[in-house]
Amino acid sequence: MTPSPAPASSATPSPVLPPIQYFRITRHRRIAWWGSAVACLISLIGMALCWLNPAIGAPLKPGLDFTGGTRIQLERACDPNCPAITVSQVAEQLEDLQLPEDAGASVPDLRGSPVQVLDQGSSIELRLPSLSAEQGTAVIEQLAGSLGPFKPGGTSVDTIGPTLGAQLLRSSLISLLVSFAAIALYITLRYDRVFAFLAILALAHDVLITTGLFAWLGLLLGVEVDSLFAVALITVAGYSVNDTVVVFDRIREQKTSLEAFPFSDQVDVAVDATLTRSIYTSLTTLLPLLGILFFGGSSLFWFSVALTAGIGFGSWSSIGVAPTLLPLFSGKGFVSSAPEDGASPTGAA
Amino acid sequence: MARQQGLFALILALAIAAGAVLFSFPLQLGLDLRGGSQLTLQVLPAGAIKTVKREQLEAVKEVLDRRVNGLGVAESTLQTIGDDQLVLQLPGEQDPSRAAKVFGTTALLEFRAQKPGTEGEMQGLLRLKRQAQSVLELSRRRASADANQSAAPGQPPAPAPSFPAEDLAKALGDLGVTVPAGAGETEQIEALLDEVNKRVVALYEPATLTGKDLVTAGRQQQQTGSGWDVTLNFNRQGGEGFARLTQSIAGSNRLLGIVLDGRSISEASVSQEFAAAGITGGAASITGNFSAEEARDLEVQLRGGSLPLPVKIIEVRTVGPLLGAENIRTSLVAALAGLALVAVFMVVVYRLPGAVAVVALSLYALFNLATYALIPVTLTLPGIAGFILSIGMAVDANVLIFERVKEELRSGNTLIRSIDGGFSLAFTSILDGHVTGLISCIALFALGTGLVKGFAVTLGIGLLLSLFTALSCTRVLLRLMMSYPNLRRPTYFLPSRQLPSPAA
Repeated sequence: MTPSPAPASSATPSPVLPPIQYFRITRHRRIAWWGSAVACLISLIGMALCWLNPAIGAPLKPGLDFTGGTRIQLERACDPNCPAITVSQVAEQLEDLQLPEDAGASVPDLRGSPVQVLDQGSSIELRLPSLSAEQGTAVIEQLAGSLGPFKPGGTSVDTIGPTLGAQLLRSSLISLLVSFAAIALYITLRYDRVFAFLAILALAHDVLITTGLFAWLGLLLGVEVDSLFAVALITVAGYSVNDTVVVFDRIREQKTSLEAFPFSDQVDVAVDATLTRSIYTSLTTLLPLLGILFFGGSSLFWFSVALTAGIGFGSWSSIGVAPTLLPLFSGKGFVSSAPEDGASPTGAA
Repeated sequence: MARQQGLFALILALAIAAGAVLFSFPLQLGLDLRGGSQLTLQVLPAGAIKTVKREQLEAVKEVLDRRVNGLGVAESTLQTIGDDQLVLQLPGEQDPSRAAKVFGTTALLEFRAQKPGTEGEMQGLLRLKRQAQSVLELSRRRASADANQSAAPGQPPAPAPSFPAEDLAKALGDLGVTVPAGAGETEQIEALLDEVNKRVVALYEPATLTGKDLVTAGRQQQQTGSGWDVTLNFNRQGGEGFARLTQSIAGSNRLLGIVLDGRSISEASVSQEFAAAGITGGAASITGNFSAEEARDLEVQLRGGSLPLPVKIIEVRTVGPLLGAENIRTSLVAALAGLALVAVFMVVVYRLPGAVAVVALSLYALFNLATYALIPVTLTLPGIAGFILSIGMAVDANVLIFERVKEELRSGNTLIRSIDGGFSLAFTSILDGHVTGLISCIALFALGTGLVKGFAVTLGIGLLLSLFTALSCTRVLLRLMMSYPNLRRPTYFLPSRQLPSPAA
């Protein structure tokens, strides 16, 4: 199946291009670029649509962590099945609630707050305006009368002030940008500026498409992004750089041994040689993530979706985007030693 | 081969040590995993203070710490974040409204004169208070000395203050305090101290001077002797009030009480020489032969009391213990199932070295958890995400190495040379990948907020350990295997059809 190379007699004077096992990536560069460009464009359109949507008004649908408010999650104690319950029943109950006053603030209006009934009616999630701790307790106690009893340890209440969300967003963005700059500096020192630029470009590509995916999910399914999404994006960024660096390292390593060949050939050889590793590594990273996706708790579902997608895009950009752009940006162009009809290249002397 | 065996013994010893660490120091779980309440507080500027600074934050924290301790929630922690925020964690607490009430009012610092004719009673109470405080202090210091095991050797122990059981029982009985049956000595003394405090405060006149007239508090070393004094500076109005207050009790046996949030934090006498006009000029010092630490405590409390900065609760998160337990269980099971598949994959694809990598990666997970327990790192959901990603990176390191070994074998190298070549060729890309990862971790840890920090910590630890296990554990184990001739077969590494020529 694989053509055997000439026995490794390194003394032969004429260099031999190592056999290409799978494919020559630079031959398919236009498809790769178009694919990525279209994906980026779709992502940008999704974010623009989100922004223009009056109900969202931001590139992504912000969750409680960023908008502020109170989220109450209740587990009903049922034995063995919960009496059926509908969203409108819960909403009706909400309208009749009497809340204690908080010093110096008017009692928030709970009418029209989004309500979700999950897991065949056994758990309820409420999204309310910002409540004080006392008011939150009052909501739970009064709902327990009509919808309860609730499981004693199954309640969760989150109240987040809007200032905290803004602070979280700002500090996440700053730390991301600083780490990008530091990574670019490191790659510039270890490789050169073009490599650093392309590594960051590939990273931006992965983060952009993952963000775009969630913009569309927000538009179509109402999926919100929370602070775990920010963590997922950071993870994707780290993974993307690692993936790209492996290919770049291979290109640098074989620079001297393949000096006689055009640069695009060197890229082809490097991508081809690292392809098995790229695929295996993505696979091994994705396995635990898929585990969480299918069997983990609901709290981590969208987090693992973001990571799975981002790692997929990261593998793609390290194969199809960063290496194929390398000859273009390093000013060496796409000259191939072999004819374009794809005959197996064996030598070039 | 003796070297490999020695290294193998070292790895084995490390694994046993890691197991022992995990056994004796349990992992600390964050509130999102074990349930509890977390409140984030913003300290707001008020009055003359336009922006809250570190120093003022410490002072507010000192005041709030006392109130939080009064809630009696075990293991509650109050930490400062940045320049103007505090985070209160209440593990196991389901109802944060009780804690929220504590932050409703600002600190109240009062200067009060003792009521006439109560000198005898006051002396008795203060004697009890000193005794109780010094016993508590001693047991606290003993506990921390036990933990550090750094008590100065050879030094004869100072005559220890003690509270004989019958004296304690009598004191409690005299004051009418009932303690729950089975309460330890410390709890009894604390109950006694509470009651004594209440009674001491009851012996004071109503306050005529409050903390809002106190400008600053400081501390200075005594000119003679090694003790410390605490200094007070009042504004003009406060200076006049303080002069009147001190004049009224100067020379008598009545004391000047400093009360913070209804708790008497200091009792001072005013000497005869101030009987004419009181302590004037708006500045005073409390001379109590304080140690540097005691002086600092009093100073911070006074400063906290002089700064009635309001706090606002900006975030409350409550997770029920059931939800927490469910979160950790499902996530753990899912991640473990995924990792089991990774192990199967490694063995199928890489054969013998794949099996070695599985052992090395198990050791890696063990070292990781032991490090979390040792530092200690509080595990949260983002922290677990960081752990899983670091496992991905550790597997990647092994994949990189074994792919290189395969390549070397395919190009006709001998087995041992291929293994060595694989490790050294893969080294630079492993290093670069890990270093870039560590760079992001440092940036995220330095600049990120709580959630992101937890992620950066576990990922950073994971990356450092992965460098060690991939490059040493896997290698040592593999080399050790290769010392057995019947394991030294290229087909244990690669399907025979991929080998260039019939292997020897």
